Amino acid sequence: MPDDGARTASTLEEIPPAERTPIAGVKEALQRRWSRPGGRGYAGLRWGGAGLFTAVAVALVVSLLTSSSQAFAHSGLSLLWTGTWDPTHKIYGAETFIVGTLITTAVALVLAVPIGVATAAFLSELAPRWLATPLSVLIDLIAAVPSIVVGLWGLLVLTPAFAHHVEPFLKKIPVLEWFFHGPALGPSMLLAGVVLAVMILPTMVALSRTALAGVALTDREAARALGGTRWQVVRRAVIPGARTGIEGAVTLAMGRALGESIAVAMVIGNAYVIPHSLLAPGATLGSAIINNFGGVTPGLDRSEVIALVVILLALTALVNAGGQLLLRSRAREQVS
Amino acid sequence: MSPVATTTGLGTGSPGDGGAGLGEGAARRRELILAQSKRSLGRRHLAGRVAVALCMVAVAISLAPLVALVAYTTSRGVHALSVDFFTKIPTPAGIAGGGISNAIVGSLIIVGLAAVMAVPVGIATALFLLERRGRIAGTIRFTADVLTGVPSIALGIFAYTVLVEPFAHFSAIAGSFALAVLMLPVIIRSSEAAMRNVPRSEWEAGLALGVRRGRVVRSIVLRGALPGLVTGNLLAVARAVGETAPLLFTTGSQLFNLNPAQPTAAVPLTIFSLGTSPFPADQQTAWGAAFVLLVFVLVLSIVARLVAGRLNRQAR
Repeated sequence: MPDDGARTASTLEEIPPAERTPIAGVKEALQRRWSRPGGRGYAGLRWGGAGLFTAVAVALVVSLLTSSSQAFAHSGLSLLWTGTWDPTHKIYGAETFIVGTLITTAVALVLAVPIGVATAAFLSELAPRWLATPLSVLIDLIAAVPSIVVGLWGLLVLTPAFAHHVEPFLKKIPVLEWFFHGPALGPSMLLAGVVLAVMILPTMVALSRTALAGVALTDREAARALGGTRWQVVRRAVIPGARTGIEGAVTLAMGRALGESIAVAMVIGNAYVIPHSLLAPGATLGSAIINNFGGVTPGLDRSEVIALVVILLALTALVNAGGQLLLRSRAREQVS
Repeated sequence: MSPVATTTGLGTGSPGDGGAGLGEGAARRRELILAQSKRSLGRRHLAGRVAVALCMVAVAISLAPLVALVAYTTSRGVHALSVDFFTKIPTPAGIAGGGISNAIVGSLIIVGLAAVMAVPVGIATALFLLERRGRIAGTIRFTADVLTGVPSIALGIFAYTVLVEPFAHFSAIAGSFALAVLMLPVIIRSSEAAMRNVPRSEWEAGLALGVRRGRVVRSIVLRGALPGLVTGNLLAVARAVGETAPLLFTTGSQLFNLNPAQPTAAVPLTIFSLGTSPFPADQQTAWGAAFVLLVFVLVLSIVARLVAGRLNRQAR
């Protein structure tokens, strides 16, 4: 719908009064309808909405950048690879938090991606309809559980369970013990990763399911006609066909895991050292922001914390833009 | 993903070359091929069954923690509920009793204001995207998609720098603003999708009658897309009401307050502060608040889906 009230209004004045034939009169009447306040108001509404939205998005970036400029002037980019966070000595480094963010996200993805894709494959391809529909609705609903509730559960239920049962058990497994050494305290990178996995699983399942369902029927039929069993069709035709969509799903889930702050802050233990074991407590960008912003003094200290926000924002924006582009390229593939 | 990749290729199972009366050698070959293919099919069916079983285990693993979480929150939270819980404000740390009326009222104010800010702007932007193609619309759409993934804590700090720092105190409005920014991209994309479902012929019918464009949008497009709009916006509200990080540095207080320009309590903040407290009485209240929040969010999501279901039935 390309038309636009304001543009037609200007053409009205271009008709000289002397040339007004009956047809021009009708035209004029029609054009007047367009140029009446309603028409213009509607154009204003659309532009106003889009303008406001754009302004907010720009303001978000600009305000965070200006509030953190002092920090970047003080630490420069070395903020990224300094491992100490010591406001009393004016030493600020985000490395611990960046490493923590990447490790917890990796743990979450290692858990959530295979389970999520398998669940999606079952719901979309293998399960009978009477089972797939209610389970899908259940997973969609559960995706709405607020992160603070997941965090509370992680803090009060999972933390003691991990300290007394899960972590001592993991330490006994022969090969994995390399990842799981040190005391079993409960709050740890591992627990944070598990909590994140629980939170991103519904996203993973929902987006992968959409991707799998989008694979063309002819692809399935071709694989079936070659003598593939039901599972072989899924494994060799459907999942490869949905690859870009699944990659998009993984990237968006990763974005969520990178950016989650409150639930992680409740279970990660908030230790500001680079962890050498998954059982060690640590900190992520999100949890460090939450724990430091509250009591921070205005000036350099606060600016440094906002610099952490900027790093987090850049990280997630990058990942999300990548995910969106992947999902779009899939949409284009399907159109063509 | 699974240990089934060892199965033979797709083609090996095809039955033999169907030559009856080709002599003894051919018959034996046929027999061999048949036996081979039967074995292959059996193997592949077995592999398939194992894989399906593994997928079912995956389904169980994905559902178990979330179902356990909801069940546990319900069993703990129900005990905290009482009339006092909904009518009183919290007691000092560690003392049993008290309620979260301040937080419930505060959350309703904050989320209500956020919706008032975000819904009109969101729908107007969706209309913009609907009526325009080209670079501007593409950029806005992409911005909305990327903004969906912005960490909520970043929105909280943004609202802090814009609306808290200049006034030197927390306020419900600052929290609402953060939540509105959180909801906007969701509202924009879902509203656009809902309104795109209104058939083009209906737009054109309206325009052909000489109805002004604004009127067409109001009476035909918005009305036709109403169920979809309600669904999308309710889901956005459901997402916003449980958010903690955007409110942490924008609204916080423990007082009962109705003035949006003043510090206000909110349910997620109450859960955070009471849940991290060492006192069992506080934790009990936190479970109660978590249960109330959970029920509210789930009811909103279910209502949103019912509305969407009605839309689908109407369309059919």
